[in-house]
Amino acid sequence: MDSTYFQYLDYAIYGSAVLVILIGLYAALVKKSLLKIVLGLSIMEAGVNLLFVALGYLKGGTAPIFSDGYDPSQVMVDPVPQALVLTAIVIGFGVTAVALSLVIRLWRHHHTLYIDEIKNLKW
Amino acid sequence: MVGTPVLFIAIPLLAAFLIPLFGMVWKESVRIVPGLVLTYLLILAVNLLNYVTVNGPIVETIAGWAPPFGINLVFNAFSGFLVTLMVFMGLMVWLYSYRFKSNVEYEPARKYFLLLMMLVTGSVGIVLTGDIFNMFVFIEIVGISGYALTAFYTGRDSAEASFKYLMMGSIASVLLLLAIMIIYSQLGTLNMADIASKMHLMDPKYKIASFILFVVALGIEAEIFPLNGWAPDAYSEAPGPVGAAFSGIVVKGAVYALIRFTYTIFDLSGSFHLILIIGLITLVVAEVAAIRQEKLKRMLAFSSIGQMGLVLVAFGIGTKEGVFAALFIMLNHAIIKPLLFFTGSYLVYHSKKKKISDLDGIGKLAPFTSVLFALGAFAIVGLPPFAGFWGKLSFLVAAANSDMILIIALILVVSVIEIVYYMRVVNRIFFFKRSSSLLARRPTPNAYIVMTVLGLAILLIGFYPDSVFGYLHNAANSLFDKSQYIHSVLTATIQ
Repeated sequence: MDSTYFQYLDYAIYGSAVLVILIGLYAALVKKSLLKIVLGLSIMEAGVNLLFVALGYLKGGTAPIFSDGYDPSQVMVDPVPQALVLTAIVIGFGVTAVALSLVIRLWRHHHTLYIDEIKNLKW
Repeated sequence: MVGTPVLFIAIPLLAAFLIPLFGMVWKESVRIVPGLVLTYLLILAVNLLNYVTVNGPIVETIAGWAPPFGINLVFNAFSGFLVTLMVFMGLMVWLYSYRFKSNVEYEPARKYFLLLMMLVTGSVGIVLTGDIFNMFVFIEIVGISGYALTAFYTGRDSAEASFKYLMMGSIASVLLLLAIMIIYSQLGTLNMADIASKMHLMDPKYKIASFILFVVALGIEAEIFPLNGWAPDAYSEAPGPVGAAFSGIVVKGAVYALIRFTYTIFDLSGSFHLILIIGLITLVVAEVAAIRQEKLKRMLAFSSIGQMGLVLVAFGIGTKEGVFAALFIMLNHAIIKPLLFFTGSYLVYHSKKKKISDLDGIGKLAPFTSVLFALGAFAIVGLPPFAGFWGKLSFLVAAANSDMILIIALILVVSVIEIVYYMRVVNRIFFFKRSSSLLARRPTPNAYIVMTVLGLAILLIGFYPDSVFGYLHNAANSLFDKSQYIHSVLTATIQ
């Protein structure tokens, strides 16, 4: 695809990643259900991770592994963002687990998941 | 040297995960081990701080990768000073919570001390690390242990406060990751010294975008207005010592990160003014909010936010004297605010709603805690001869030398507000008629020790400010010496 119309498609991944972040942010800030807020936070993290991996990608690059069959003429993708994203995914998993356990505790006390009805503290 | 900076992260992290195992062998050890660890770290911190003042900064490379590729830890006069302060506060919090309320039981004590060790690990890591992604990881460690500690009491409101904190914290972590990503995509490095030396190559558009993202993300942890919505609830719903740990340890780490980014990494010309202005807004809003609070711990929380605002204003002055004043206020805040939280949580122990009006006349029933609360209140508003006075004085001198007369006026007005709300509480404690149903809780022996130590520290710094001047000067100089920071990191060899 060497048509100039299609070269913008290379950037589509960035645009969709930003869109995913914004969808997550919208869910986290606007939705009233605690579960939807937790989902929104997870979606936001997924968007950032997608964006980060996309930044380290080179067109036609291979996995950055120096092994026996390594061909020096091959381009490699940047391994650092992948390592960072792995860490970020693990952290995001931990935060989601803590968030869900808090949601369970709020449910046990209030028997509702709607933040409008859980307002003992000023929001 | 008796050790290396990596021990500040490795030992508490190891201890945190070994605590449940130790608990299986000997139940009391879950309480004792954190104390031993923190005592050792305090000795190590003081030793290394003295070593650093003579021999220059210690840069430690991890896992045999020399900077800028590997993660490195930087222990210089500035970060060392904060580490010493944090470890000292960690020790005080540990001693105070040795047998505090529900920690008497084995099961909650195990979780509490595990999380406390994680909190100390993360905060110390934020200060020591020389790598921005590593800093993100430590901020998340602090965050997750902070959420869990906020929800430590199984009451209904603590989960709510914790969820609020978690929401803000998760959004902060996403923004932080975005900022790190922008820097990495432009400069291809994550090492702070390397970024600082290459910063002039970066397009101003990206520079500003990543700086704003950093300020917002770290501002949530550093309780900058309007990002501090979580703080008053978390402080008032968390156990008393955890509130002290937040104000004494966690916020220090976040403010350090903010200052490191402003002073060392970014070279934007207006960034000092930005810090100054957000500091001023935080200060004024927090102090005005504090005067309206009816609950004691919420009032202390807002006062704590205000003090952090004052620290940011002092950093925003941008001179060496300003940094000196900021560090002095941070030191004062780290010893005075925990004292107020500790004594305050005993004063409102039996009160259901934890209101200030429940304290009428408690001074006769609990003279020791009341007098120390009053001492803390006098010290934090900056009355001589207590510790707070020197911090505020050096701040005013720094502002005057930079011709910031309006800021001096504003700070003095805010100090008057501060006096009003603290004296209102002290007045109620000592001079109001007490109701017959009023009960006072006797502090545990270890709480007596902690309060006495903090009270003595306030008096010591108040009467002999020279005892800390040297460390503060070294720390301020080391923050300003950007080229030395970059040089010492990038020429570090693998040990």
